[in-house]
Amino acid sequence: MLKVVVSVKEEIIQAAERRRATGVGDDIASFLSELINLGFEHRLQQLYEKYEAGEISFGYFAKELGLSIRDLYAALEERALPTSNIGAKAQ
Amino acid sequence: MTVIFDAGPLITACKFMVQGKLVVDCLSPKCKIIIPSAVEEEVAILGASYPDGIAAGERIAKGEIQVMPVTERQWAIHLASYALGKGELDSLELYRNAEAEALVTDDNLAFIVATRLGLKACMLPDLVAELAKRGELGIKLAKNIMEAIRPRYRTGVIEHNIVRLQEVKGTC
Repeated sequence: MLKVVVSVKEEIIQAAERRRATGVGDDIASFLSELINLGFEHRLQQLYEKYEAGEISFGYFAKELGLSIRDLYAALEERALPTSNIGAKAQ
Repeated sequence: MTVIFDAGPLITACKFMVQGKLVVDCLSPKCKIIIPSAVEEEVAILGASYPDGIAAGERIAKGEIQVMPVTERQWAIHLASYALGKGELDSLELYRNAEAEALVTDDNLAFIVATRLGLKACMLPDLVAELAKRGELGIKLAKNIMEAIRPRYRTGVIEHNIVRLQEVKGTC
């Protein structure tokens, strides 16, 4: 896995340290990694909502998320989401 | 029939199989498929790690899918404020240069923009139904294609085209 150095808000570090101190989690790096993954998922969902509404195209969606068109197609398939945004939403 | 394919329908056509053949191989002998260079890059070059990206690249190499560059931008100003990607923009621009009959896109915004520009847009399942209506594809094959690609579409799209196929069958 790629390792990168990023600046993190003080309150997030404090939260991670508090979790470790109280025995909720023992690894700060894992906690931060989980937050990054959740952030990416949140961004994908935000953009998918715009795509679903027809505000942005598939190509724009991919560009904003930083994925290639084909990787975005795969990401939606993995989440069982239609790649077309025409028609009625599943109930 | 000459059509421009956007990236989404091209991936779907190169990914799903019917009766042992990729959907694109059912369509390309029956209509001329043209894509802009940007869509080639999105699907066959950046997507080369996927089997459908390889399939698209092979068909481009064999000339079954034709790649055309956009030489003239007629609508750059009209399109500037829409949240479209490069492939969609180039597909729209290529329409007149290629003297296409339709832009095949599964994207709502691209579909609406094409319609607003006075171009004919259709989804991949619509193209399948149209080729069946013209007698280029058998009804059974067309229906099998619809069922194969169904997971990629929202409710209503495939159902609509199944009814169209039944209407075609009724007129035969």
